[in-house]
Amino acid sequence: MPSPDAVAHVRARSPFVDDLPEPEGTLHGAVLPSPVAHGRILRLDTAPALAMPGVAAVLTAADVPGENQIGGIVQDEALLAQGEVHHVGQPVALVVAATPRQARAARDLIALEIEELEAVFDPRRAAERGKLIAPARTIACGDVDEAWARCATIVEGRADSGAQEHLYLETQACLAVPEARGRLHLFPATQSPSGVQRITARVLGLQMHDIEVEVQRLGGAFGGKEDQATPWAVMAALAAHRLARPVKIVLGRGEDMRMTGKRHPYSTDFRLGLDGEGRFLAFEATYYQSSGAAADLSTAILQRTLFHATNAYFVPNVRVTGFCCRTNLPPFTAFRGFGGPQAMFVMESAIAAAAERLGRPARELQELNLLRENDPLPYGMRVRRANARRSFAEAVERFGLGRRLREIEEHNAASPLLKRGLALMPVCFGISFTNASLNQAGALVHIYTDGSVSLSTAAVEMGQGVATKIRRIAAGALGISERRIRVESTSTSRVANMSPTAASTATDLNGMAALLACRMLASRLRTSAAELLDVRAEDLELRGERVLLSGEVTDLGWNELVAATWKRRVDLTAHAFYSTPNLHFDPEEGRGRPFAYHVFGTAMVEATVDLLRGTATVDAVHVVHDAGRSLDPLVDRGQAEGGIVQGLGWMTMEDLVHAEDGRLLSDSLATYKIPDLHFTPTALEVVFLEDAANPAAVLQTKAIGEPPFMYGIGAFFAIRNAICAARPLAVDRFVAPLTNERILGMLDGKREEQGARSEE
Amino acid sequence: MAKPIELVVNGERRRIDVEPEMPLLWVLRDVLGLTGTKYSCGIAECGACTVLLDGEEIRSCATPVSEAAGHEITTIEGLAHTHFHTLQEAWIAEEVPQCGYCQPGQLLAAAALLARNPHPDDAEIVEHMSGILCRCGTYQRIRRAIRRAAGTAKGAAS
Repeated sequence: MPSPDAVAHVRARSPFVDDLPEPEGTLHGAVLPSPVAHGRILRLDTAPALAMPGVAAVLTAADVPGENQIGGIVQDEALLAQGEVHHVGQPVALVVAATPRQARAARDLIALEIEELEAVFDPRRAAERGKLIAPARTIACGDVDEAWARCATIVEGRADSGAQEHLYLETQACLAVPEARGRLHLFPATQSPSGVQRITARVLGLQMHDIEVEVQRLGGAFGGKEDQATPWAVMAALAAHRLARPVKIVLGRGEDMRMTGKRHPYSTDFRLGLDGEGRFLAFEATYYQSSGAAADLSTAILQRTLFHATNAYFVPNVRVTGFCCRTNLPPFTAFRGFGGPQAMFVMESAIAAAAERLGRPARELQELNLLRENDPLPYGMRVRRANARRSFAEAVERFGLGRRLREIEEHNAASPLLKRGLALMPVCFGISFTNASLNQAGALVHIYTDGSVSLSTAAVEMGQGVATKIRRIAAGALGISERRIRVESTSTSRVANMSPTAASTATDLNGMAALLACRMLASRLRTSAAELLDVRAEDLELRGERVLLSGEVTDLGWNELVAATWKRRVDLTAHAFYSTPNLHFDPEEGRGRPFAYHVFGTAMVEATVDLLRGTATVDAVHVVHDAGRSLDPLVDRGQAEGGIVQGLGWMTMEDLVHAEDGRLLSDSLATYKIPDLHFTPTALEVVFLEDAANPAAVLQTKAIGEPPFMYGIGAFFAIRNAICAARPLAVDRFVAPLTNERILGMLDGKREEQGARSEE
Repeated sequence: MAKPIELVVNGERRRIDVEPEMPLLWVLRDVLGLTGTKYSCGIAECGACTVLLDGEEIRSCATPVSEAAGHEITTIEGLAHTHFHTLQEAWIAEEVPQCGYCQPGQLLAAAALLARNPHPDDAEIVEHMSGILCRCGTYQRIRRAIRRAAGTAKGAAS
């Protein structure tokens, strides 16, 4: 059965927030952002805006009835600036008017005077000055200091990766509708309905039950609507509450790019030691994460960076330390991979450095050091069903590594101006929220007397296909057609205290909760059927919309069974709850079992570099991926393909450029480029490992959302290898993205081009 | 007030009273209630707002409504009259949409391509569809779906 979402999407019958019918009298909000990166507000005069036609209100920090505080993990972020501003784009005031145009015109008349203070944009400089969001975090195992003496080769250097704009095509948006008896109904484009509910209650001084947050679908999110959908929703709620009118806020693209946070840039020092045969003996890294002006999710993201420091490799002696550095930029936030990609980029850079130093192919070192069954990771957890070696070997074999390498060698020998390169990219990614408390979900399932089913969970559908998967799980458990099941919008009134839809866990958690709820209902129905048929419930099963007795079809069908069960006064509603078992982690000790399981896979990436123009093309990405026993291979492969394309973009073309004063210069699609069809490799193939059942997740599946993103890192090293075919490169400096500009500089042998644009 | 502007939208004649420089996108969405056409970048760089003007694709966010006056506009809501079935079926069969937001624009661009060139080769598909952005990265499937639709069209014609 085609996904109901796909059918609706091709007819454009799947409304997003800005497509919802506006209630009569809806007002529109426009946000005044700070024009400076750090300063003290001297004057904020809203009178000129208030005098403009159509303007209903101009709201500032003074109008907040509750706490002017939207910080989640750390409470360090005001909804509307109070006293000081800490980044360009920080919301200062909200204008509410009859039309969006009137609101924006009035906003531009607000008089805002700011005394500028010194701003810091470089994370290393912030760390030097002690501007940290939280104390440094370390994970260590073995004895690194002792191990260096035993190393035959030691490489050290610096690896920097850049920010990445989410560029969800639907910009941040919320419609807030006041209802009777002081209730507010919010329709934000958020991955975290309960987060919006909780923070709205805090800011408005209401109780959570006064607020219903409902999400039908998101037009892309990728982490960018986990925490950062909240301010706009709360502002719309604040205005709706104050004015007792519906209020809508939809950010323009430029506003969205300038005001919201992105993937964290990292600058990292690394040191890798190998024995005489190339086995990794010791790894040390210090990560400087540019966290932006407020904590947002930075500490959790840094934690995941530390978890993934050694990627898919076994290293016996490790010490990795990370700093969340407070910089005067919009708070950096969740983005597919959540700190994992940044860590893996560093590890792969260290391996490339060692390989180039030793004159050996990186793939030999990678293969030699891949995780084996039961190997411990630096935080003490051992990998089970470790498919690192299996996926690597299968990729090498299936995609003909030897043949491709020969072709590339022949090509490069014959081609003076176009050089080709290949890189392998193994990935090992842990699944679970790293904050153990978030690994919980609820599901609410109703069976109506006509046999139709309504299914609510905490999962937000944002294109990842979670609704399709959960519908399939429920249909299987109840033994009915998927057509009977409606997956409802995600609402805080149907499922309370939801974790955000994030960390690739939506199906693992919500699918399991839905499965448990459906099994409860199936059990009640079987009991009822047993009484009707005068047989034992244990001999009955529900399948194909019928009751089966010892595997034989009976006369009792789904509709009759449901109707009869209702008549017998049996509850046809079930709520179930799931929490991932056996998760624990002590951040102080840096040890524990933070993940339910790991996802493995290997990509083979090929690229061509034009030595004259400095342009690079990613020609092919071939992947063997461990998807567990996929519930929907078409959906899962789509997630993998899309994640890879995003990862390629991060490593090659997506370059965020700031002016010296902290203003974002690449603030539109004219100046910030993301992959399109032309960029997408002609050969993009994802093959799933056979026989990869995963007992640690619902129905033996594996999470799919984030891990494939990191295959894109292979593009960096494929391009680097192509350049190395023309000229050697310094092995102590790795800077992503490899834009055409940077490639040209590397070809010219400019060392500084291999480095970051100097911010010092 | 400027005099009313006449458009033919999805085969229906519409008279609207708006300023002539108002982008067609907002006329479609806010005045005519046709929300299938999406806003995303506002500067004709992403293609989410793509509609057809006399069968040719245009970016409605950067087209003043006055330029569309007297012309025939086709939006996703009206695509059913032209290539709806082939492309729709291909899109569903290949399970192209993820979040779905860009898909109306992708479908209209594909429709314009097939109207002009019923059997495009891969290079022509890439050339035509490049620059219409999908952040979910469904490009590979878009390419396949267009091939499939073009194949179907060929089969139906012969």
